[in-house]
Amino acid sequence: MVLQLFGSPVSTCTKRVAVVLREKKVPFELHPINLASREQKSPEYLAKQPFGQVPYIVDDGFVLYESRAICRYIAAKYAHQGTPLLPSSSDLKTIALFEQAASIEQNSFEPYASKCGMEKVIFPRLGLTTNQEAYDQAHQTLDMKLAVYDQILGKQKYLAGDELTIVDLFHISWGVLLKAGGSDIMESKPNLARQVWWIEITSRPAWVAVKDGVQSVEKY
Amino acid sequence: MVLKLYGAPFSTCTKRVAMVCIEKKIPYEFVNVDLATGEHKTAVFKAIQPFAEVPYIDDDGFILYESRAICRYLEEKYRGQGTELAPHDDLNEIALYEQACSIELCNWDPFAGEAAYEVLIRPLLKQPVDMKVFEKAIAKLSIKLDAYDVILGKQAYLAGDNVTLADLYHLTWGVMLGLAGSDIMTQKPNVTRWFKDIRARPSWLAVTDGVTSRLSYE
Repeated sequence: MVLQLFGSPVSTCTKRVAVVLREKKVPFELHPINLASREQKSPEYLAKQPFGQVPYIVDDGFVLYESRAICRYIAAKYAHQGTPLLPSSSDLKTIALFEQAASIEQNSFEPYASKCGMEKVIFPRLGLTTNQEAYDQAHQTLDMKLAVYDQILGKQKYLAGDELTIVDLFHISWGVLLKAGGSDIMESKPNLARQVWWIEITSRPAWVAVKDGVQSVEKY
Repeated sequence: MVLKLYGAPFSTCTKRVAMVCIEKKIPYEFVNVDLATGEHKTAVFKAIQPFAEVPYIDDDGFILYESRAICRYLEEKYRGQGTELAPHDDLNEIALYEQACSIELCNWDPFAGEAAYEVLIRPLLKQPVDMKVFEKAIAKLSIKLDAYDVILGKQAYLAGDNVTLADLYHLTWGVMLGLAGSDIMTQKPNVTRWFKDIRARPSWLAVTDGVTSRLSYE
């Protein structure tokens, strides 16, 4: 049975999963969850995803949530098709550096990029006020972290090494909301290593296909 | 050459790595990084750990940072030795373990960390404490722990019926919440049972009062 993706077509985390599904050429059926009516907090939804968050998948009866866990599962299960998204070597140190990159994304990018995106893009959409001080603080910290990204990306092509991995793709869905919120921090300075990396990953067809909304894909 | 763990004795992230070394019976030498004098901000340190954070390891010349990445590396390298802390073979079991690891990072760490940091770390840095920040973080954490309680009502640990790294990662902030004045870890029945279990592990007890070298195991 085709993989079922339960999520919101415009949610950052749903898009994160959809990008990886597309890169790996995995057909999927999107079941749109209506966040505006808080469908994700309904008893039926909570029975599958107890945190009341999107997305989750059902893969032939196997239920999985947390977008990065879903992406890792897809990348491993479909390792032999589509774009390789995990290190090609099973060498212990290569895998360790991949995990180091995965941790960097979650600790040094996600909290600050998502804070910026929430304050400047999501909250206004929901009719809530932007906390400019919170935004400025998050943006400033992100800028400092990205200076380290420049050092890393100055020595290797991608965050985990010289191969593209899911970790690079994890950055995209919150990262693009920085520009939407008025920040050019990702692509403003041509002499910074982050720009080449950022432009490359955001130009990938898999992202371009989902950036304005996720839709089911029956076949590739 | 023995594994070198560079960190601070009371740092949450350094304790996380030390605990896993002890679970896996991995000898290690603890090397103190003097945070109080800003040793982690020096050019020498940043040449190794560019985010200026502790800990990092030097495993016979192989440098690795990010505590959870270090823990994963040690579990993988010493598979079959000491406690098994992650599934390695079954795709679905591994996926549920990754789900648990992500739950810890997204639904626990930001809120537990914010609460503990506000009340326990700020005073050490001579910064003012805002109890409203603490209360708000605890309130958010409580909602998350309601979901934990559902999960832990069906299985012993966060990834399934075996303890994994995902469970152990909760200890460092978790024990601090009590010290910070919140009884949240004893409010919900299944969370209480689970937390009492993991905090009684000898590896945690060994690092509670600070990280020191451990060069042999009986």
